Amino acid sequence: MIFARKGFSLARTKKEYSRKVNQMKRTIALCLALIMALGLLAGCNQTGTEKDPGTTPDGTNQGTNQGTAEQSEKTLIMRAESAFTTLDPANSNNTHDIKLYDQIYEGLYGMNEASGGYYKELAKDVQVSDDSLVYTITLQDGVTFQNGETLTASDCVFTYERAMTFAAMNYLTTMIESVEAPDDQTFVIKMKYAYAPLAHTLFRIKILEEGEVTAQGDKFGTIPNTAGTGAYYVKEYDVASGAKLTSYENYWQGAPNIKNVEYRVLSDAAASVIAYENGELDYYEDAALSDWDSLYAKAGESHSTMVKGNNIIWMGINYASKNKEVLNNDLVRQAMFYAINKEDVNIAVAEGYGNAADTYMVPEYVPTQPTTGFETYAYNPEKAKELLAQAGYADGVDVGTILSTNSSHNSKTAQVIQANLEAVGIHAEVEMLDVSLAVEKWNAQDYDLCVYADSGNYDFNNIRQQVHSESVGMYVINYTVGDKFDWKRIEELVALGAGTADENERLTYYTELWSMVMDTATILPLINRPVAIVWSERINIGDPVPTYYKIRNFTWAE
Amino acid sequence: MYRYILKRILFLIPTILGVVFIIFFVLNLTPGNPGRSILGVSAPQEAVDQLNEELGYNDPLLVKYFNYLKNLVLNRSFGTSYFTGQAVADEVLPRFGVTLKLSTIGIIISTLVGVPLGILTAVKQYSIWDYVPSVLAFLLAAIPSFVLGMVLLFVFALKLNILPSYGLETWKCYIMPSLCMAIPITAFNVRFTKSSMLESIREDYIDTARAKGAKERTVIWKHALKNALLPVITNIGLNMGGLIMGAVVAERLFSVPGIGALIVDRIAYKDEPVIIAGTIVISITFTIIMLAVDIIYAFVDPRIRAKYTKVKG
Repeated sequence: MIFARKGFSLARTKKEYSRKVNQMKRTIALCLALIMALGLLAGCNQTGTEKDPGTTPDGTNQGTNQGTAEQSEKTLIMRAESAFTTLDPANSNNTHDIKLYDQIYEGLYGMNEASGGYYKELAKDVQVSDDSLVYTITLQDGVTFQNGETLTASDCVFTYERAMTFAAMNYLTTMIESVEAPDDQTFVIKMKYAYAPLAHTLFRIKILEEGEVTAQGDKFGTIPNTAGTGAYYVKEYDVASGAKLTSYENYWQGAPNIKNVEYRVLSDAAASVIAYENGELDYYEDAALSDWDSLYAKAGESHSTMVKGNNIIWMGINYASKNKEVLNNDLVRQAMFYAINKEDVNIAVAEGYGNAADTYMVPEYVPTQPTTGFETYAYNPEKAKELLAQAGYADGVDVGTILSTNSSHNSKTAQVIQANLEAVGIHAEVEMLDVSLAVEKWNAQDYDLCVYADSGNYDFNNIRQQVHSESVGMYVINYTVGDKFDWKRIEELVALGAGTADENERLTYYTELWSMVMDTATILPLINRPVAIVWSERINIGDPVPTYYKIRNFTWAE
Repeated sequence: MYRYILKRILFLIPTILGVVFIIFFVLNLTPGNPGRSILGVSAPQEAVDQLNEELGYNDPLLVKYFNYLKNLVLNRSFGTSYFTGQAVADEVLPRFGVTLKLSTIGIIISTLVGVPLGILTAVKQYSIWDYVPSVLAFLLAAIPSFVLGMVLLFVFALKLNILPSYGLETWKCYIMPSLCMAIPITAFNVRFTKSSMLESIREDYIDTARAKGAKERTVIWKHALKNALLPVITNIGLNMGGLIMGAVVAERLFSVPGIGALIVDRIAYKDEPVIIAGTIVISITFTIIMLAVDIIYAFVDPRIRAKYTKVKG
């Protein structure tokens, strides 16, 4: 009886249990189906690319005075090769970020690579005192920030004093003693010492509206703002996917023709080429040279160009490294220079479209760059072998490690150098590091050979960062070690070049300087990469430039 | 059963603690200099050193670990990105949402296509219905995701011009990244389901069912499939985790702002707060998926169910 009752109880419990299980199964199945459906819906319910012209920051509708209503609805799609790290122009020296800043902020000077350099932008007039220690700058009339405020000299004072507190701006501001605003239209810069290349500082420091920057506080740079005077302001900003810009209709030089711009982060070069060829990109600059034939075929001659880039890849030899027994030998270093075939580097890095570089900057962009009067170490492997033999290394020598940053161009260059050196009996290993680590090693002089690069710098005093002991970052060769080189004269020539406004005088100083540097056989310019640009048939871009384009100069094609 | 679920949820705590510690440990071993990355090559060394100090980058491993946990628990904050200065949660969570969407679509496609095809190939073994899907699965499983992605881009974006090559603005944008993620998994599902079904079909109880006169349809769907599905369910759960973690290829190729691409990008800058937060989010998700798989498994398999169910006497 007990057994039967127990059996009945078990059967009932099992039945109940089975019912509960089935119920639960259904619930789980329903939940899973719901989750999947929600996933699908969430994935597909986003709206398309914003096409409306939007409104100005003060809420008024944008005008269409520079184009038709249809044009005001179109969006120009630009490729961003990587994320924009910040919208604060004082917080980044990344050329990629600066290209965006050039659309939304303006400096006292602007940059026009097509017509040869700096021009007055927010500065209407610049007076320099006789001793070159005081710059009195009169501001343009009628300039307003995107938030409607009028530009005054106090905004310039605020911006410059703020920049002087940022470590990233240090190299642009160390020569400035103080700044002041005697009146609303006059901005005065007082210098610690005479410094003629100030134009680059005036270009790079973008003027910000004090009230908005102060109001945004720590958030400034991380969220959109209207604190610039540029032709566009950022409407949406997402570090991962890019930025959307809208035209500032009261822009002091006239509202731009193109009203909406979108920068899309497309990191992958091959995917970018497909996006352009698929008609999804309007402007693709610094395009992959390996795909140039395909891009050119698609774009045609009228919508593609390859301009000379303002960049140089270098090799440095640390004569005072741990391997100094070998590298301190002048003949070995010269042999290494003669062993390098710059054309090999050109083919590896720029598909053969680049140019061998002999100077520290690209002469087309820097008028006072000397082009003659110094040793260039033209490729001569036989001479390299002779020099090695003279140095006592006829059977070859190990020179240590080639330290390169891990960028594609630099790492390829390091490998070509390694092969070139090996061909004449010089053995070297290659080490690739993130740039932040490579810089630490350069600063600590903890390397034998190195590969590094510079780009987008039109400052004729650019050589200072490589040869002056007060410089940081690209001062890879420490000439002050021992008494091997006359580093005092090198630094004196840097100061003399920067201290004179006379271009001929400057050229004389810089020719002597560069000749001295090349004689040390420590820094070898290798190649200058071209910048390939293709654009869509929807737009006209005016004169193509390698780095600092202005979208306000672009127009929609009819 | 509820006790089991609760136990598994509580198990998340040591899992997260362990994951965070491992990430801290690994990051501590890797070289990097966030101060230099943030300030740039031209910044003075003193400024770089000072910034590293302010970021707590020079603190000992355990100090960094406990400070991070303290901030996570007390302030419910993942901290601030070294790279952008933005709140890490604002960067990581939206991107995780994007990856989750893509992975969900990918897993739905791979399950709806892969499992039925796997069953078909097993049931119709040595026929055209077996050979064609099996060979296709073999080929597709062998193609790396980035090659597959490029082929999809070339065909659908460039040649046919019917799908956008990047972005996530419209439903069309989801097709290629989802396919890029789903196709290799689908191929794997076909092969896995097939082998599981074949194993099940060869069991004695299938012969018994047939001997008892059960219809072939009943034998396959009720007896064989039910048992064959157990490992397939586990596999689907693992696939979902794999899709989330391996989404980086599709994200980079189709310029989708997902969490995989974010973590990979920030590793270059040693942006520890973002790397750690991203990994924590992925780890938690993976653990939850595995928990869900175990629960489903328990309901499908009566042996496991019985283990956790008290029968009142």
